[in-house]
Amino acid sequence: MLQAYWYITKMRLLTSLAYRFEVFASVGTNLILMLASVFLWKAAYGGGIQQVNTLNLQDLTTYTILSITLSSMFVCGVQDTIYYKIREGQIVTDFYRPIPLFACYLADDLGGMLSALANKVLPLLLFASLFFGIPWPSSAISLLLFIPSCLLSYGILWLLSALVGLIAFWVMELGNMGIVKDSIVRVLSGSIVPLWFFPESVQTVSKFLPFQYTYQTPLGIYIGTVGTKEALAAMGIQAVWIAFLFILLAAGWKRTKTKTLIQGG
Amino acid sequence: MEAVIEVNELVKEYMVAKKESGLRGALKSLLFPEKTKVKGVDGISFSIAPGEIVGYIGPNGAGKSTTIKMLTGILHPTSGSIKVCGISPQADRKAVVRKLGVVFGQRTQLYWDLRLGESFELLRRIYQIDKTTYEENLAVLSDVLKLNEFIDTPVRQLSLGQRMRGDLAAAMLHSPEVLFLDEPTIGLDADAKHAIRDFIKEMNRNRGVTVILTTHDLDDVEQLCSRLVVVNHGKVVEDGPIESLIHKLTPHRLLVVELQHPCDDLSHPAAEIIKRDGLKIWYQFEKQRMTAAELISDLSQKLPIQDLSVKEPDIEDAIREVYKTT
Repeated sequence: MLQAYWYITKMRLLTSLAYRFEVFASVGTNLILMLASVFLWKAAYGGGIQQVNTLNLQDLTTYTILSITLSSMFVCGVQDTIYYKIREGQIVTDFYRPIPLFACYLADDLGGMLSALANKVLPLLLFASLFFGIPWPSSAISLLLFIPSCLLSYGILWLLSALVGLIAFWVMELGNMGIVKDSIVRVLSGSIVPLWFFPESVQTVSKFLPFQYTYQTPLGIYIGTVGTKEALAAMGIQAVWIAFLFILLAAGWKRTKTKTLIQGG
Repeated sequence: MEAVIEVNELVKEYMVAKKESGLRGALKSLLFPEKTKVKGVDGISFSIAPGEIVGYIGPNGAGKSTTIKMLTGILHPTSGSIKVCGISPQADRKAVVRKLGVVFGQRTQLYWDLRLGESFELLRRIYQIDKTTYEENLAVLSDVLKLNEFIDTPVRQLSLGQRMRGDLAAAMLHSPEVLFLDEPTIGLDADAKHAIRDFIKEMNRNRGVTVILTTHDLDDVEQLCSRLVVVNHGKVVEDGPIESLIHKLTPHRLLVVELQHPCDDLSHPAAEIIKRDGLKIWYQFEKQRMTAAELISDLSQKLPIQDLSVKEPDIEDAIREVYKTT
């Protein structure tokens, strides 16, 4: 069975590598976004913005570069995959294979992630290093903690995306809910502006939501704002969110299977 | 013999949102959606023995695809029971679909961007087919479907006929006991249709695969199916061998007569004139009541017949009759 998943991952990898224009477009837009963000921070700091949490400009530059790089790597196609497959009725072809659907979609997205690692992350980091210098981590330990935290982040993001995909089984008329979810994630995850710059109240609420544990946690670890002890605690919270979202998805999926309607044909 | 497929009093209801026209209507149905309950399938029962080729036919929206989806475990019935090879697809979808090959003519399970062979390789891993069995199966399928010509071509570059052959091969790789074909010949040219029908016959004959075929192409039905299950409005309206169905539904035959010159008295006590076009006259008669030869000899005594032909009702007439009356 594992062989099948690996093959799905491999097929996605091959497909992604075949679409060269998509790669150029993605690297191009992300690069522009990266440049704009960094220059914005530069301008803000030049004007004597009040420093938060002793974050300096170098920290924020590193934060921004990595945030955008991560976003190009965290492939969560599952919500769109399900939405379009249901819309076009194509989902039936997944149902008549003796293999769990969501596991296939995960394998597919992991393939997308692997290919992004090669054809998006590398060029982005290379260009960023040329423009702003290499975005070093604050210490070897923070780099070591950053990697597992990223994996946990991806877990949360993917499960959120899968849950949105599940909604598509119920209400086609709502359109692609993924766009709404993506906007919320973008703001509340601190991927554009770290939540440390947000009002106290927003920060408090955000602690009880999964979003800040997707970008801010690993990035904070990387630039050293989050210490080792706090980092481990944050990773614990990430794991709890993963468990919670997984249970939600499993329960939702069980119910969905018995009640849904598949379009057309 | 134990039935491969056993369907009992199957019902599927679903809610359909009523959409009203215009902007106002759109707003109204967005805020206060009105839903009505529709019975897509309304008490269908049938059972299919191993090795049968059954045509499952009915007009658009009769509930054919809904039934197929329930048989494959995609949809859950509102009530009633299904057993495929003794297992309920709702209780254990994965066990059932292992025994099934499914082809939806309007969809493909092949990977669009990759070469055809890649999709087969994936299926080998999903169904955990061992290498030698896989290669044997693929060799047989390649031979019948002539896959070698395009197995290395990306699926998106295949013609519809080639893609369909690819899909059929994909459905048969894991040696299923039952094959569900939902309009497998839709949109294909005569050659491709022929190839696909041959393939279905071959699989049925050599491997004893039970085939359930939904189609609107009555040539498919005529050439392949030994038995027809006709559904309309979610109910089974006819179930039986094709010949008896035609016989039962269309007891009439037609005699078309062309006269040398116009005549006044055209009538015959046992035949009805259903159409007239200049010198051509269409007589309809019941084959139980009189033979064509009798009618011809009666008519030729009083009419100057130039030319004549007898028309046998075909499956199309029979089906039209069913759709009309139910």
